Amino acid sequence: MLLGVTDPVAYLPLAVILMAAIGFSVMNLVLTRILGPNRAGETKALTYESGMEAVGTARKRFNVRFYLIAMVFLVFDVEVVFLYPWAATFANLEVGSDDRLLWLARILFFLFTTIVAFLYGLRKGVFRFD
Amino acid sequence: MAAKIALIWPEIALFITTCLVMLLGLSPNKQWRSLCLPASMVGLTVAGVLAAMGMGVGGPVGDTPLPYLPGFIKVTVAGVGLLLLLLQAGLIDRREEALIASGRAFSALRTNRAEYFALVLFSLTGLMLCASAGDLIWLFLALELTSLPTYVMVAMSSSRNRAQEAGVKYFYLGALGAATFLYGFVMLYGGTGTLQLATMAEVIAAEGVNTITMAGLLLSVLGLAFKIAAVPMHFYTADVYQGAAAPVSAFLAFVPKTAGFVALLLICSAVGWTHGESGNALPEALRIMLWVMAAVTMTVGNVLAILQNSIKRVLAYSSIAHSGYMLVGLLAGPGDGTFGGSGVSAVLFYLAAYGVMNTGAFAVIACLERKAADRGEPMEVEDFDDLRGLWKREPALGVLLAIVTLSLLGFPPLLGFMAKLPLFTSGISAGEIALVVVLGLNSAIAAYYYLRIVKAAMIDDPRGEPGAADSAVHHPAYNLRLVTGLCSALGVVALAILAGQLAERVTEASGYIAPVGPSQPVGSATVLETETLPVQLPMT
Repeated sequence: MLLGVTDPVAYLPLAVILMAAIGFSVMNLVLTRILGPNRAGETKALTYESGMEAVGTARKRFNVRFYLIAMVFLVFDVEVVFLYPWAATFANLEVGSDDRLLWLARILFFLFTTIVAFLYGLRKGVFRFD
Repeated sequence: MAAKIALIWPEIALFITTCLVMLLGLSPNKQWRSLCLPASMVGLTVAGVLAAMGMGVGGPVGDTPLPYLPGFIKVTVAGVGLLLLLLQAGLIDRREEALIASGRAFSALRTNRAEYFALVLFSLTGLMLCASAGDLIWLFLALELTSLPTYVMVAMSSSRNRAQEAGVKYFYLGALGAATFLYGFVMLYGGTGTLQLATMAEVIAAEGVNTITMAGLLLSVLGLAFKIAAVPMHFYTADVYQGAAAPVSAFLAFVPKTAGFVALLLICSAVGWTHGESGNALPEALRIMLWVMAAVTMTVGNVLAILQNSIKRVLAYSSIAHSGYMLVGLLAGPGDGTFGGSGVSAVLFYLAAYGVMNTGAFAVIACLERKAADRGEPMEVEDFDDLRGLWKREPALGVLLAIVTLSLLGFPPLLGFMAKLPLFTSGISAGEIALVVVLGLNSAIAAYYYLRIVKAAMIDDPRGEPGAADSAVHHPAYNLRLVTGLCSALGVVALAILAGQLAERVTEASGYIAPVGPSQPVGSATVLETETLPVQLPMT
């Protein structure tokens, strides 16, 4: 069954939206250039025009540990995201059916991979704070 | 669903090995750490045995128009994968291990062994999963699981800047390729209303190929051209193969290429070789695209290979050319299903043969190294000049290189010849005479640079005095790498002798069940394929 539409005319609204989007953004750039006042100056070129004084530079070295923690967080985050739909479906399966066992096996396998990821992080020293 | 799980036992075994290796490699104990390689090989062997056992059961084992494909691909991947794994010995953590041996404390953060072997195994798992794919989402995920680890492997393989550069190039172009074929997959879904390859084949057989499906097909093939390194997505090949360490280049020449060809075979099988005037060709637009791609790919690969001075670049361009050869088989399709007439079985045969012989060529390069002028990591031996007189300095390596190179050339008694022959015959029986002529001409061009390698190794005199400061020495893992090369050369000879048996296997594996119209009315129930999962929430 064809889900897409082959008739080119059907894509006309899409083309109109695309042109409107491009036209709107180009028009904004052009109009601000023409209509807007332009007062350049030293104060205007500051990082925070509002008067906040910038301190130091943004190029700082971060401890690599932040990234490691973020990655380990991601592992658990994804795990939890998958647990919700799994639990909602599992509750609907007939008690004692083969499907139920299969679904349990699946999530256990998935949890096993998470545990491996956790152990890997542990061995790599991600959780060592000294 | 349970049947699908029975199909992927090899992948599950490989995945569990991966998890184990990931933890083993981080052990502070040197003995445990060095178990990474043997453990990986054991896991891969188990996966291969499981796949071979599954193959012997009989009856269709997949759910695509090529149902016998997965078993053969998995066994091949396990076989060539063992060679490739053995070649990775001594590649990673060389400097770190030396420092630890001289008294530095072990630090898990500074070693890469666990990750490296895990990445290799992940990639092989992905490749096996590609073969099991029954729908487009599975196929896409498997292709990405194959490719993503290889990007990291390239960057990790050497501490030289060239490796990092190669890794970045490979990653960005790989992302472009993946985006292209993913877009193609989306259009295929839009055009046929299903993600299942088997259902898609039925829909196309019943309703023909509409515009959107055709656009999807062309985009998919274009994106997959990146994986097989075919023109116009071949630009990364030479730089990446040269920048990565030789064992990784060998890996790149086999694993992503096989994944790409499996994906191409599956997608073409869903379209069906049932179009055209004679009713055994691909749809005309796809046929023309593949025709041009095949002809240009072989020519570009072979002509540019002549101009190279580095053996690794020559092998990279030859890898492009070999993809071009295999595209002929893809174009020819299953034909009458015999070994000589089926392009699909020719592609499968060629993939296995190419994996074996190409690994051997890279193994020879990986055996030797040269001290770097800047006292950094030793350099790989890769120029033609470095290989001059190899026969006189290292007789074993010289003979090895000659055997695998002649096989890559397709020299008659060797495996490469046995592999190329069915490509010719299948092309002829599909009526693609012009393309077969191009194939023949290209085989002749290829002789120039392959024979140049053989001449440098076997006939020329060695450069410089023996024992000079810049002469090549053995790599620390010389023994294991030499064994890899020997196994590969042995495979080239043995498989040529056993070609009949291999031909039987590939003919079996290429069994193609041409789709005939939908077996059931294709309605919304088929489109929203939900199997039997009760996803409704309880009414409370």
